[in-house]
Amino acid sequence: MRLYEYEAKALLRKHGVSVPESVHLMNAATPPPLGFPVVVKAQVLAGGRGKAGAVKVAQSALELQQAIVQLFSTKVKGEPVNSVLIESFVKTKSELYISFLYDTRMRGPVLLASAQGGVDIEQNADSIVRVPIDPLVGLQDWQCRLALGTHVTPQITAVLMKLWQCFVQEDCTLLEINPLAIAGDGTLSCVGTMIELDDFAFFRHKERSYSPRNPAIGREITEREKMVKLLNDADHHGTIKYLELDGDIGFLASGGGASLTCMDKLIEAGGKPANYSEFSGNPSEQKIAALIDAVLSKPLKGLWVIGGVANFTAVDTTMKVLVDVLKKHKPKIPIVVRRGGPKEKEGLQILRDAAAHEGWRVEAHGREIPLTQTAQRMVELAYGNTH
Amino acid sequence: MAILIDKNTRLLVQGITGTEAQRSLSLMKSSGTVITCGVTPGKGGQSVEGIPVYNTVAEALKKHPETNASFVSVPPFAAKDAVIEAVFNGIKLVVCITENVPVRDAALMARYAQVHGVVLVGPGSVGVIAPGIGRIGPIGGLDTMASEIYQPGTVGVVSTSGGMTNEVAWIVRQAGYGHSTVLSIGGEKILGTTFADILQRFEQDAQTKAVVLFGELGGHYENQIAALIKEKKFTKPLIAFIAGTFTESLPKGIQFGHAAALLNEKETYPTYKKRALRDAGVHVVDALIDIPNKLREVL
Repeated sequence: MRLYEYEAKALLRKHGVSVPESVHLMNAATPPPLGFPVVVKAQVLAGGRGKAGAVKVAQSALELQQAIVQLFSTKVKGEPVNSVLIESFVKTKSELYISFLYDTRMRGPVLLASAQGGVDIEQNADSIVRVPIDPLVGLQDWQCRLALGTHVTPQITAVLMKLWQCFVQEDCTLLEINPLAIAGDGTLSCVGTMIELDDFAFFRHKERSYSPRNPAIGREITEREKMVKLLNDADHHGTIKYLELDGDIGFLASGGGASLTCMDKLIEAGGKPANYSEFSGNPSEQKIAALIDAVLSKPLKGLWVIGGVANFTAVDTTMKVLVDVLKKHKPKIPIVVRRGGPKEKEGLQILRDAAAHEGWRVEAHGREIPLTQTAQRMVELAYGNTH
Repeated sequence: MAILIDKNTRLLVQGITGTEAQRSLSLMKSSGTVITCGVTPGKGGQSVEGIPVYNTVAEALKKHPETNASFVSVPPFAAKDAVIEAVFNGIKLVVCITENVPVRDAALMARYAQVHGVVLVGPGSVGVIAPGIGRIGPIGGLDTMASEIYQPGTVGVVSTSGGMTNEVAWIVRQAGYGHSTVLSIGGEKILGTTFADILQRFEQDAQTKAVVLFGELGGHYENQIAALIKEKKFTKPLIAFIAGTFTESLPKGIQFGHAAALLNEKETYPTYKKRALRDAGVHVVDALIDIPNKLREVL
């Protein structure tokens, strides 16, 4: 989960890391005085805010008021601005880029660092040094020296150590400081901050109460996405995922790998998915029902229910839940199913019987048909000859 | 032969009193796996399907010193503790099926296992099956289905995804081939065992004549295969399918399915991975249904 900047900076402060003095505003009210100049930053999750015009410098009370009103009335990369952060302007002599993240190449945490930080870091990507960290012993002084070479000072090392502690203790998957500003007198301040938290580690941080986040950066979370996410997080048994898309074929998939494989095939066959979804790890019937409900609640031209040959998830259970939810929605759209696994024949029969009884247009297949073969069929039935 | 498990595998089950572990017990036994003992903290002295339960791994191994592998099936918050406990006590193969493990914990357990020379499969694996020898984990499901899908043979299968492991094994079987060993390495960001690790084992395994691999967007584990082949550390025919190309046209930063299925650098894109693998001589298929013909071509 990505944090808003004001949330990220609160975490840094908690770990004793210096950040600019600031005021967080939830509406276009007059802020308490900070001393000019100040920087006004739209609180959105998208990166590259500076270049998107979402960061403004104000030299006076009038400019500040204008900047606040303006930012609240804009969208940044499709995202509405729900709050702004007003910070003291930090004069810098030089800017470092620092980040901690998990790298699959090193199979562990790494420190990325550059002495050429700032808004143009992407152009200076070659200057970034990548230092693997052994998670058993944590960040060491020599690694800070390795990462920053002659630019390192004891003060910088001390800040990196605190950032590392924050990264580990808060279960971050990404902690990026850009820039870590160095003032003329050597004072350090984390001006730009991006933090992503590990969704799987929230059981260690029960005190947290962050609002549900956008699954797709660039727009607000939808009601359906919010509902699925809240239910998913309610217990640790199994996972349900839902992402709303622009198309008109409902997509209900079991298993992470199968969902990816089938989305590829559906799009290749000319289908326009109304959503991406996935459930796996044996979630409760209640969770599965909520996911199916979310998928069916959009206007659809077809519903594709798809899954590989499950190792253990009983197909009859899934189909019973599907039938229950379908009864509520009374769908007129064509429904194409391919699912294998334990109790596959029983499960598919339950669906076929219900379809015959309720008058649903269902074609249900088991593992005798290859996983993705039904994509073409779904597209034909959904769009007919007009496609 | 087969990889990872053999006739001498003696299995400990951590989290044995949990539902996930319990439903795997009879399947593992009927596949030929010898289970010596189980551990659930606080449940010591009980027994599950005739298998004695202990409070700690140390106690269990004292009574069952022949134990050399562990199946870890515990909730996400307990996975790191369980894996490290197994490694510390001298277990040499740990298969962890727990999904949604915090990445910090996954990194710690992977590194700890590596430092101690222990093979950790997972977290987030669905298990390992060597048809005719045994299995660790729920892979393959109920015996009726497992016996239809799995049969001893010459094709190795390795996948990130648990569900697709079974699906790919089934495709191989329908094509008329059997399996040497089939496993999922898990879809988490940080893994104990990577594709490259597994392929090196398949290289050493005389029974394995070809390998089918299911990969996804995100991470670099597929790209490491290309390097491995260039260094001639894997020389057998490899058929690979990489899922998730559609995600390249969606906004970045979205999590798809598995924890590792997240695009951030161009090397993590399916298109990039497919090209890298093709350049290294891997038989990359664009559709799963192309696997049978490819198998006939290479075998």
